[in-house]
Amino acid sequence: MRSIAAHLLHLGLVAGLLLTNAHASDVPSPFSLSGFGTVGAVRTDKDNRMFRSSTEQVSGAGTDFDPSVDSVLGVQASLILSNALDLTVQSVVRKGVADSYSPQLTWGFLRFQAMPEIVVRAGRMRTPFFMYSDSLNLNYATPWVRPPVEVYSLNPFADLNGVDALYRTPIGATDLELHVYGGQSSLDIRNGGGKLQAVRGVKAALSVSSLTLQAGYARSNLSIHWGDPMFTSLNNHLIASGNDAIARDLSGDDSKGTFLSAGFQYDSDRLLMIGEYARRTVDRYTVSAAGWYFTAGYRFNSLTPYMTVARQTQTAPVTTKQSGIAPIDSLLSLFNAMRNKSQNSMAIGARWDVTRNVAVKTQLERIHPGPGGLGIFVNDNFRDVVDPGGPVHVFSISADFVF
Amino acid sequence: MRPLRALLLLVALLASSPNRAEILIVTSNRSGPIELTRDQAEKLYLGRSSTFSDGTPASLVDLPNGQVRDEFYLKLTGKNPAQIQAYWSRLVFTGRALPPKEARSLAEARQWLTDTPNLIGYLDRNEPTTGMRILLRLP
Repeated sequence: MRSIAAHLLHLGLVAGLLLTNAHASDVPSPFSLSGFGTVGAVRTDKDNRMFRSSTEQVSGAGTDFDPSVDSVLGVQASLILSNALDLTVQSVVRKGVADSYSPQLTWGFLRFQAMPEIVVRAGRMRTPFFMYSDSLNLNYATPWVRPPVEVYSLNPFADLNGVDALYRTPIGATDLELHVYGGQSSLDIRNGGGKLQAVRGVKAALSVSSLTLQAGYARSNLSIHWGDPMFTSLNNHLIASGNDAIARDLSGDDSKGTFLSAGFQYDSDRLLMIGEYARRTVDRYTVSAAGWYFTAGYRFNSLTPYMTVARQTQTAPVTTKQSGIAPIDSLLSLFNAMRNKSQNSMAIGARWDVTRNVAVKTQLERIHPGPGGLGIFVNDNFRDVVDPGGPVHVFSISADFVF
Repeated sequence: MRPLRALLLLVALLASSPNRAEILIVTSNRSGPIELTRDQAEKLYLGRSSTFSDGTPASLVDLPNGQVRDEFYLKLTGKNPAQIQAYWSRLVFTGRALPPKEARSLAEARQWLTDTPNLIGYLDRNEPTTGMRILLRLP
């Protein structure tokens, strides 16, 4: 899939150069090329708490400024095929699964305007489970350095291969958008993989002047096959000791998950407020958890200072079963804790709109990992996972751009 | 003599008043019988609609970055340049809508708006509109 993304991108760039090099034309070109990106650096005040922007990243930032956590580049090409049909391809490069920088095909779909109010799309899209899920790489569009990890780490499955329909209609002064979608999603993890199959979801958004209210719900079948050495060792011990029932809670192809979210955005000419609650519930293989955040900001011309509070809480561990064998049970509790991303945080920051296409941001967060896990942080020392300790301060600077 | 001097004074006053010129939303004379309300124009330029009220697909033109473009968006949508850029980038990079076609120059925009049916765009009131039809005035 990655090489397909690279090829499509290459084709798009070549076509774009050919078309835009043409002489000033009498009619607008059916082709457009645009892009976005972030150049960012982040550091913490503890070397044994490595900060990541997503759970797919294997390594993170310590006490040295690290440019790999937040930096991202995206390029998008669109081609209008007819009045009702167009094609869009988007590719993104950033540190992702297993710290790989391979270009990913983030969007690649045909869009069909079935009726004035109805758009149908088919192909590669983004899982739209939460409020900003479909634009997680596009930091330019938000006040933050990055979307709050307390909510957005609840869904590591970013790609959706399938079909969706968007219905938009005014109701008096209010604008209603209904979004229904279906498909499947795959995720590579180190030596393993995850899959969402038969995803079906619905999302509704109501906009009236400066206020948007949004709610979404999705269900899916879930497979996860962990591949890390710790899981392999635990799994072997469970099977050797006849605890197959516990092993079947840790990985396999027979789980279901639901994703729920409700949020709002208030964006007047001065005051800015954003809040969201999201919840992931699964039968087995990983933890169930809920998260929320609230952000308030105020625009002084091109400067927007803001503050955010956020929390993620685990609602159920991977498994509550016990083998009765002490060494295995301690491995089990470690396995649970490694998947527990509970944390709470407070952040202050500012966005400065330097020019029309560039925003410079800075953010200082005080993150309390736990209880029962290291939150978004990683550390090679297993003992730290069950004893996360005190708060970690995370300082970020970034420049976001669109072109 | 006195009325003429008063008139000259008035003209001078008007000319020196802050430049918040009227902006026109126009389309080619070759377009069909398009009608456009302020509300529909706002929906189109916020990507919330992609057709005229009779269902005809609409295409939009943006002027190059500059004062007329900024004033147009401020008047029509109440959003400043940074807000409108953030708003549209979210629509575009989530595959919701294709952005208005940005002309490389005012001359190119005028050419498109003269030649291409069912394309709408905006011009400063002082621009000539030969070959175009004025759909809406934003005072």
